[in-house]
Amino acid sequence: MGASETMVRMGELAVSSVPGHVLVSLGLGSCIGLALLDRKMGVAGLAHIVLPQSQGHGGENSRKFADFAVPELVSELEGIGARKIRLEAVLVGGASMFAVASSSLEVGQRNEASVRELLKAMRIPVKATATGGNKGRTIRVDVSTAAVTVREAGGKDTELLAGSRVLEAVAA
Amino acid sequence: MSTQYTELQLDALRELANIGSGTASTALSAMLGRSVDISVPKAQALPFAEAVEAAGPAEQDITAIVLGIIGEMQGTVLLLVPPADADAMCRMLGVEPDDEFALSALGEIGNIVGTSYINALAGMTGMDIEPTPPSTTTDMLGALVASVLAGAAATGDVALMLDSNLLVEGEDCSISFLLVPDQGGVDVLLSRLGLS
Repeated sequence: MGASETMVRMGELAVSSVPGHVLVSLGLGSCIGLALLDRKMGVAGLAHIVLPQSQGHGGENSRKFADFAVPELVSELEGIGARKIRLEAVLVGGASMFAVASSSLEVGQRNEASVRELLKAMRIPVKATATGGNKGRTIRVDVSTAAVTVREAGGKDTELLAGSRVLEAVAA
Repeated sequence: MSTQYTELQLDALRELANIGSGTASTALSAMLGRSVDISVPKAQALPFAEAVEAAGPAEQDITAIVLGIIGEMQGTVLLLVPPADADAMCRMLGVEPDDEFALSALGEIGNIVGTSYINALAGMTGMDIEPTPPSTTTDMLGALVASVLAGAAATGDVALMLDSNLLVEGEDCSISFLLVPDQGGVDVLLSRLGLS
């Protein structure tokens, strides 16, 4: 595994077009790992979103909010050659880790709803999800094949979105 | 990284954590019938991503008992126990780990430990605060800690964590104890200490 893995931590995002590169968010609970992929270009990005809405709290670390992170991830992807019209989305996380009645409980669900809403407005299709429930998850995004895997606590990596060989032209 | 808290403030918070965890260890000791040691507590103000990393390896399995704090200060108490240690503590209470009562036994440990800490905090600061009932789960450490911190992430960029370690003597069994006030909660805490 992981010749070159980039950890995308809470409130961070990363994009890459480097073949063999893997973007990873470990231990997503109520947070959402949003992967966006342009398969044709071999370009992918991952955002580790913490909260659904900034509600006026922008500031230095605004990427923890869905309403900042989603457009920013798209624009950074466009910056390295992706086309918005080709982007595919995969969502992982948004769980309720604790069975207590507190506001932090619904954060997971609200995160997912907010990210879906933002993607819909940008006409980016959601191709696969592993969301909700009460289990922590890890997401891995393989930049060159556009394969996305998820692992739950105590489980194995399972493929959420099948990878495809890009750059077929190279073989020709 | 700017921490937004002064050394004096962090020292005062550390002292609060010291007294809180001292009270909690006495309660745990009485419950388990064993001596319980406490480590020197840490008070850390860290950006959220670093706060999660400071808690330990993100994918490590951990048993967490969580209690909310409500009242004049909002926040969360999180007790983190390696699963093997959680099993050991169940046995000390005479409950087999695979028993249907194991979860509630752990919840009760969390309840006693968390409540005594919160009560000590209330006594020292004059704050009117109380715990919510405990919830127990075993999952990825990072997912649990990040989900607790998310509640405090809305209005700030830095998480304040008061971290102590309780060690049950002779059993090699430890509980890591985290108090995470919500952003507004830290201000209330500091103003009660005359350090805002």
